[in-house]
Amino acid sequence: MSSSTLAPTDGTPPGPRAHTATARGRVLPFPITGQEIVLIVVIAVLWAVLAVATPAFLTGGSIVPLLVAMAPVALIGIGMTIIIITGGIDVSVAGMVMVCAVVVAKTMVGSGVSLPVAVLLSVLVGGVLGLVNGLLIAYGRVHAIIITFGTANLFEFLGLRIFGGSTVNGIPGTLGFFGRGDAGRTLGVPHSFLIMLLVAAAAWYYLRHTAGGRHLYAIGGDADAARLAGVKVQRRVLSAYVLTGLLTGLAACFVIAQGTSTLAPNVGTGMELSAIAAVVIGGTSIMGGRGSVLGTVLGALLVQTVTSGVTQLGWRSQLASLFIGIFILIAVGADLLRQRARRTA
Amino acid sequence: MRMTRTTRSAAVLSLALALATTACGQGSGGSASSGGSTGGAASGSAGGGGGGEGATVAFVPKLQGIPYFEAMNTGGAAACEEIGCTWLYQGPVEADPAAQADIVRSFIQQGVDALIVAPNDPDSMAPLLKQAADAGIKVATADTDAPNSVREVFVSQASTEGIGEALTDAVLGAMGGKGKYAIVSCGQTAQNLNSWIEVQKAYTAEKYPDAEIVDIVYAGEDQAQATQMATDLMNAHPDLTGLVGECTSSAPGVAQAVQDAGKTGQVFTVGLGTPQSMAPYLTEGSSSASILWDVENLGHLTAWAGVQLAAGEEFQASNDVSSDITGVTFDPATKVLLLGPPLTITKDNAGDYDY
Repeated sequence: MSSSTLAPTDGTPPGPRAHTATARGRVLPFPITGQEIVLIVVIAVLWAVLAVATPAFLTGGSIVPLLVAMAPVALIGIGMTIIIITGGIDVSVAGMVMVCAVVVAKTMVGSGVSLPVAVLLSVLVGGVLGLVNGLLIAYGRVHAIIITFGTANLFEFLGLRIFGGSTVNGIPGTLGFFGRGDAGRTLGVPHSFLIMLLVAAAAWYYLRHTAGGRHLYAIGGDADAARLAGVKVQRRVLSAYVLTGLLTGLAACFVIAQGTSTLAPNVGTGMELSAIAAVVIGGTSIMGGRGSVLGTVLGALLVQTVTSGVTQLGWRSQLASLFIGIFILIAVGADLLRQRARRTA
Repeated sequence: MRMTRTTRSAAVLSLALALATTACGQGSGGSASSGGSTGGAASGSAGGGGGGEGATVAFVPKLQGIPYFEAMNTGGAAACEEIGCTWLYQGPVEADPAAQADIVRSFIQQGVDALIVAPNDPDSMAPLLKQAADAGIKVATADTDAPNSVREVFVSQASTEGIGEALTDAVLGAMGGKGKYAIVSCGQTAQNLNSWIEVQKAYTAEKYPDAEIVDIVYAGEDQAQATQMATDLMNAHPDLTGLVGECTSSAPGVAQAVQDAGKTGQVFTVGLGTPQSMAPYLTEGSSSASILWDVENLGHLTAWAGVQLAAGEEFQASNDVSSDITGVTFDPATKVLLLGPPLTITKDNAGDYDY
């Protein structure tokens, strides 16, 4: 990555005293990183190959469901990106999806609430769960993976309690606004994808162009240095987890809309890993301090393209796991190489 | 957050490996019958309890807290109420062989009269069943068999052929006896699902020469994934007219995909789905039929078999268990007690079941 010529536009604290001043000269990263360009090329090539191999791939009937399917993972991935940039991680999002989804589903079945109420409820529940994580991590001074591993189990317990050993049946189509069906599109564009894009754009702007956003990177780079530079580390970290909770609440609505009229207790299973996979493939450094939401959105799109592509080509389903696993390893390997290059530069 | 370079790299690599191996893997195990891979911690500890007298029959499901095994519990408890036995029901919160083994050991310690297991791992359960038999406990399996064990009977919900043929007949009945269809299965390693699929392949080839299974995909026990895969299949094969959802998460999933694509009436679906989850799709028409068995009756038969074993009674070739469950066949060669032919659930009878 080349150093950018952009001048500092905010109160970004200077990086830790660098051994090599030239490598630390940049303040804002280039708008689009090498890994994102690679991802765009890979996705474009895949789409072109799939379009030739299966003529139905590049049609609305195929692309729209694909975009709908990647939306919740990307949405959670946006929050996860911000958390990972601060040097943390959240492995409790799957439990959050479960709790939000079952609360909303039961409420809809019980009292037939309207769409805005259902979304608000889900986002609110997610926000509260995120607040629990954030408080424990920001003020508990224990590593995020341990805390969220604990809360993941608590959330799962809570979710199963609410499920009460049964599925939720007969969920009304209120959330069809976010689904694959006709109700989920305007002029052919799926609402869930559009909302995810808007959130991603806002997060991208915030992370790049506001003091608060730059502080998140500073915390991930070196939390102690950031603190000495006047960054309110705890408050920033707390807000990252609350934001992820809110986004996970919204994603839970997407998940309900994509599922069937029955909600089973395994809802959300594996979503934390899907989200982290999207983040890692997107080029965000798992060690914190670097990353972008654009990469995460592309990562989620790539994963879903591979999954759908494997099915549409009639290949064995397990090949999707193989490809995604390879992508993750390549992405992490590239990150480690970049890391080493920067140190020895 | 103060890590050395080596620890950091090691941490990153191990996370990457963890992701690569588990993140994107399809849910593998799983019983066809179970709707989810996470269990219900909610249901608390050993539940059940029928009448206080007579034999003590303990049933250990693959996991507790999911509707399928809760319905079996309901049936078993009702049976004990009726015939006078003590029904104990306890399973692990996840479909985990080790946790299940612990529960089995505790029942051996308690010295129950009959111990019936739906094993998560038939092979590792076999020595424990032997241990129970050595302690004088009558052992049996239900829902899922452990063929290489000392179990005295396997209480089977339906035969492999019965399920496979019923699914095939249902989907091709809706498709008019010909055309292309695809199967959305769940765990790739789920033994019972795979054996049903084998029957479906052979039976389709034999009885419906104008029909073809174009693809079999595996969605794990994930409804959204099943729905997406069904959507992809319809796109890849525009002339597809049938879809089979092989487990309780895929069955509503394929119906939802057809409904979302606005192809109700063009693409017909059937699946192994619970009546309550399938009711909306059966009514709407995106699902033609659901093949299952009466799960409460399976629980009832399980309890009854336990009582028979405890009392040292032999099974007859045909057994009348209750007013509702008659003509249950017993094959002395394989020691399998068969509940009966599978149940076909349509929009007319879906409302009769509360699971």
